[in-house]
Amino acid sequence: MKGILYILEHDFRNFFRYKWWLVGLISMNLADLFIMAIVYNSMLSPAVKEQITNYFNFFAPGLTVTGLFASAFMIGREVNMERRREIHHYMLSLPMTRLELAVGRVLSGGLRGMVYMSPLLLTCFAILRFPTIEQFLIILAVLFLLAIGISGLSIAIAVSTSSFEKFITARGLVYYTLFFCSSVFYPLSLFQQLGQEGKLPMILVTLAEVNPLSSASNIIRSFLLDTPPFSPSMILNVLVFSSIFTFSAAFAYIEIIERT
Amino acid sequence: MRAIWFISQIALFGLVSSRMINVPNLDYFRYYVAGLSIMTLYSAAIFIGFDIYEEADHGVFEYLLSLPVTRRQLVLGRSIGGGLRAFIYVGPLIGVSLYVIGAISPINFLIALFSLFLFAFGVSGMSITIAVVLKSSDRFDILMGVLDALIVRLSTAMYPLAYVQEANPLYGWIAKFNPVTYVADLFRWGTGLEAIISLDNPLLPLLGIIAFFSIFTFVGIIIYERRIEGGGWQ
Repeated sequence: MKGILYILEHDFRNFFRYKWWLVGLISMNLADLFIMAIVYNSMLSPAVKEQITNYFNFFAPGLTVTGLFASAFMIGREVNMERRREIHHYMLSLPMTRLELAVGRVLSGGLRGMVYMSPLLLTCFAILRFPTIEQFLIILAVLFLLAIGISGLSIAIAVSTSSFEKFITARGLVYYTLFFCSSVFYPLSLFQQLGQEGKLPMILVTLAEVNPLSSASNIIRSFLLDTPPFSPSMILNVLVFSSIFTFSAAFAYIEIIERT
Repeated sequence: MRAIWFISQIALFGLVSSRMINVPNLDYFRYYVAGLSIMTLYSAAIFIGFDIYEEADHGVFEYLLSLPVTRRQLVLGRSIGGGLRAFIYVGPLIGVSLYVIGAISPINFLIALFSLFLFAFGVSGMSITIAVVLKSSDRFDILMGVLDALIVRLSTAMYPLAYVQEANPLYGWIAKFNPVTYVADLFRWGTGLEAIISLDNPLLPLLGIIAFFSIFTFVGIIIYERRIEGGGWQ
C-alpha cells in the first residue's frame, strides 16, 4: 500500500509540473464550450432541438468527459517516455512489488484525470444545475471508473508501443474513434438514424451505444438535464470497460516492462 | 495520424453533425469538409515552430547559423519551407475533400490554391515568430494550443459567419478579421461552394491573406534576425 502512495506522489508531482499546460488545456476545452457550442446551438435542426433543447447544455457534460479522457490519457505518454529512455529500470528497482507499481500507475493516471476534470464538472453544474447528493456520488463514481479505465488503456498502449510516433498514432486512432463514435458531441439517436438508413455501418452504431464515453456523458445528462433517461446499463458499460482495461494494463505493465 | 484524424472527422463528425445542423440552402457536410481542409493546413503549418525547438535542443541551430547564408535568407527559406511542407502533408487530404465537395471551377480553384499557399507560408511565419520570441517549448506548446482553439473556432471554418455573429457580435467581429475565415471562404469559393461563403467580394479575403502573409513573413524576418543569436532556449 505504501508503494502505491509513493507512485501516486511521484505521478502527481509530474502532473503539476505542467500546470500551465493544464491551464492551456482547460482554456481550449472552455473555448469549445463557450464558442463552438454556442454557435452550433443557433444552427440546430428542429428535430434535434426538440430532443436536446439546447446544444450548449447538451455539450457541457460531454466536455467534462472530454477533459477527463485527455488528462487521464497523459499517464500513457509518461510511461512510454520512461520506456524509451529506460527509466523503467529505475522504477523496477524501487522497493515495492510489481503489482503495487502497476496499480499505482493506473490509479494515479485516473486520479489525475479526476483532478483535471473537476473544474469542468463544476462549470457544468454551475451552468446546468447541481445534482442531489446521491446523483453527485454516482457521477463521481462513474467518472472515477472511467478515468481508471482510460488510464489503463493508455498504459496498455504505452507499454505495447516501442516508439513515441507509434504511441501517438495509436492514441490518435483510439481517441478519435472513441470520441467521434460516442454521444459526447451529438445525441445517440443520430447514429441510430444513420445506421438505419445504411449511411453508417451498424458496427459503429453499436460501438457508439456501448462506448463508455457515451454512457458517462449520458449519466451526467440524465441527472442534470433529465434526458436521456437514466439506465443501470450505463453504469455497467463503464464498469466493464474499466475492469477490462485496468486489469489488462496492470498485466501488460508487469509483463512487458520486465522484458524490455 | 493527421490522415486518421482527417478521415474520422469527415466520416464520423462531419456525417453525424451534418444531420444535427440545419441551415437553409447549406449542405453542412460539404461546408464542413472544406473547412476541415483549412483547419488541417493550419495545424500542419504550425509544426515548423516545434521543429525550431527540436533543432535548438539538438544543437542544429548553431549549425544553421554557421551556414553561408544571410539570416534573412534563412528565415525566408524556413517560412516558405514550412508552408510548402504543410502543403505536401495536406495535399492528399485536400484531394479527398475536393472529391467529397465535387465540382470545381479551374480558375477560381487556382486563385483559391494560391491563397492556401500564402496562408500556409503566413502561418509558418507566425509559428516561427512566436517560437523565437518565446524561446520556451512549453510556453510555445500552450500558446499555440490556445491560439489554435481560438483562431479556428472564431472563424468560418466550422460555421457560416452569420451564425457566429448571431451567437455573439464580438465573436462575429473577430471572425470577420480572421485569416482562417478569409482562406476558408476563398477555398469554398474556389471549389464551387460560393453560395455559402460569408464575404461578397473574393478580392477582399484575398487581400486579407496577402496582408497576413506579408506581416508574418516580414515581421518574422526582423524578429528572427534579432532573437536568433544569444541562446536562451528552454
